Amino acid sequence: MSKIGLIIGREYSSRVKKKSFIVMTILVPILSAVFLIGAVYLGTPEVKDLKVLVVDDTGIIVDDIIDNQKNNKIIPKTAHGNIVDDPDAHLNEKYTFQEYEEVANGKSADDAKIDFVENEKYKDCDVILYIPKNITYSKVVKLYYKETPSPKALTYINLLVNESIEIASLSNYNITKEDYQEIKKKITLHSILYSDKDEKDTRTAIKAGIGFAFGLMIYMFIFLYGVQVMKGVIEEKTNRIVEVIISSVKPFELMMGKIIGIMFVGLTQFFMWVVLIGVLTTVVVPFVVPDEYSPMFQAGTQTEIQTSQEVGAMIEPELQNTMQGNELLDVLINETPWASMLLVFLFFFIGGYLLYGSLMAAIGSAVDSETDTQQFMLPVTMPLVFAYLISIMGIQDPDSPIMVWCSQIPFTSPVVMLVRYSANGGVGMGWDLVLSMFLLVITFIATTWLAAKIYRTGILMYGKKVTYKELFKWLKY
Amino acid sequence: MQEEEILFRADNIVKKYANHIALNDVSISVPKQSIFGLLGPNGAGKTSLIRIINQITAPDSGNVYINGEKLNREHVSIIGYLPEERGLYKKMKVGEQAMYLAQLKGMSKKEAKTSLDYWFKKFEIDAWWNKKVEELSKGMAQKIQFITTVMHKPQLLILDEPFSGFDPINSNLVKNEIKKLRDEGATVILSTHNMGSVEEICDDIALINNSRKILGGKIKEVKESFAKDQYTIEFKGNVVAFANAVWGGWELIERTQIGEHHFKAIVKLVGGNSLNNYLKALLDHVEVLSVNKVIPSMNDIFIQAIEDQKLQKENNINLTNKTEENE
Repeated sequence: MSKIGLIIGREYSSRVKKKSFIVMTILVPILSAVFLIGAVYLGTPEVKDLKVLVVDDTGIIVDDIIDNQKNNKIIPKTAHGNIVDDPDAHLNEKYTFQEYEEVANGKSADDAKIDFVENEKYKDCDVILYIPKNITYSKVVKLYYKETPSPKALTYINLLVNESIEIASLSNYNITKEDYQEIKKKITLHSILYSDKDEKDTRTAIKAGIGFAFGLMIYMFIFLYGVQVMKGVIEEKTNRIVEVIISSVKPFELMMGKIIGIMFVGLTQFFMWVVLIGVLTTVVVPFVVPDEYSPMFQAGTQTEIQTSQEVGAMIEPELQNTMQGNELLDVLINETPWASMLLVFLFFFIGGYLLYGSLMAAIGSAVDSETDTQQFMLPVTMPLVFAYLISIMGIQDPDSPIMVWCSQIPFTSPVVMLVRYSANGGVGMGWDLVLSMFLLVITFIATTWLAAKIYRTGILMYGKKVTYKELFKWLKY
Repeated sequence: MQEEEILFRADNIVKKYANHIALNDVSISVPKQSIFGLLGPNGAGKTSLIRIINQITAPDSGNVYINGEKLNREHVSIIGYLPEERGLYKKMKVGEQAMYLAQLKGMSKKEAKTSLDYWFKKFEIDAWWNKKVEELSKGMAQKIQFITTVMHKPQLLILDEPFSGFDPINSNLVKNEIKKLRDEGATVILSTHNMGSVEEICDDIALINNSRKILGGKIKEVKESFAKDQYTIEFKGNVVAFANAVWGGWELIERTQIGEHHFKAIVKLVGGNSLNNYLKALLDHVEVLSVNKVIPSMNDIFIQAIEDQKLQKENNINLTNKTEENE
């Protein structure tokens, strides 16, 4: 046992000390942090100051608009009712509305357009909001701009004008403001999956997506480190050190020592990444990114919106779009069972890695150089790639029959099961999960056993082009 | 003579692979504190036997004993093995690597360091401790491989073609080191094609060909058995007188003139003629300066033995063919 420990130690330390390992370990979290921050930045477009020149031919609505806007009556009340945590609250400060006073002198939009460019008084306005006289029938307002305003600004102005007109016309219909507020409340469609007497929230695709990210990680690790096992075996073979070593230890010990040593390298890298990404996002990001854009802040906001949503408050559909990105963060932070998720990840990572790693070791032993590996690599990597593709499709429908089957088959389960587990939030997966784990363990024991047989013959074979027939013979030696 | 103590013994080893037999009923025994030459052409089965001793493979039948004990995993630490196909981790530092290999052999860190310090000094390579193997020349790497084979003071040293790749100086260094190790108590099994070095340092040999042992024993005895009643006779006098001195019972194999009336002849005695009788007759006619029995070189014996086996095999085939024809 102590000898296998020595081998594990050498495999581990010789790799961890490599420059490429250190660079990879540090660079990947930094890059992903940069991407994350970049994504949040891009997802939250910068809100520019906007000055709106209101040309109101009706002469009545402009005051309401300016009043509603200044006092922030529209958006907060109709949307969330909570001004402080509203990420859009600051829009009120960013946008200013100015009345085109020349309307009183009989001027209208065409004059405004000229003034808007030439007149010192109105030159600093960015857009003209033109409300025609027949607005209550035509329901069309026009917006002239110098520079394309952001979609957010358009939504905001639309909402503001709409509500102001509606409020202004309430008296025509004998509706009180209170009734109006009541009518305006929208229903929220909260879809819940009902099965096995369990109610499941269906933000399933997002959850499946998170599972897929874990599955993808396993997929990448198996590839990266499986190939390292193979390369390591080929290296020992071409260096001709292998015979010296197996005169001291059993070939099986050498093979397992290598596989396990490299597995620890992989785990080390993974935990380093988790820690570094954690540190970067919690410590560094708040310094770099203003509060309202930081993912933590937005996720926090989202939770409260979620709660208010549940008690029946309204959410404007237009505003929901801007929250799609934040829902992911919300699921990540509030709805992902991290502890069990990590355990399942570790189990399937180790199981899948041992399964494929042993096969890769067998391949490495059978060839003289990396260029000869292709014919054997293909059948080994195919199920893995298949699992990856199935998982991508499975994000939309994580419990489809093919997903269920592939989450049981040990060659695909390390990737697929992660998607299913996460999609179901780890709920109601008792026998499913246990069977899959059991099958994985049985299979990696079997492949390790087979691989060891090929390995102990292969490592001492030089200069021979090996065929499948040959490999099959070695199993019987 | 006192019965020799046997350190290593292999009894009736058989090892088959899918398409051929690597070892067919091979038995050898290696006396303690001797150098044993394991000889044979390429593909004869030497490496198969060596791998069995190192427990890299197991024989299909037959037993192997070390110190009278059946071969087991514990023996790994008392065997030092230098394979024919040998190398080192290129990216690893020399010292680190030697320490690693020493610990795999079961040495503690401290023991390994002490022993390696000793050997590195002895081979004058202590400056390389922190160098990577890829920075070393082939000869330097060979030295390190030799050290890692002997660093744990193995009782049994197995060296497969140890001199290949060494320049004459290092080859000599290693040769002397092997002898010294034997004198200090180690037993050495040496597999090589280099017959010169066999003659120089081996005490016993076994010759394996076509998966069978075809020759074995003390090197002196083997040589004696191949000597064919041939003698080198140096004499002064007349050649004709030499030729006519004895009428029958001998053949002239070769004759060279060394100086005026001074010759050297190789003669073979036949028909049960004894050297004494031959000399008696000869002495009256020429002046005999020296008489030496012709002892064949290991090289000759190697080739002779393998050709003999080949002939025998062909005869067997012919015989079986004939019987088949008769039937």
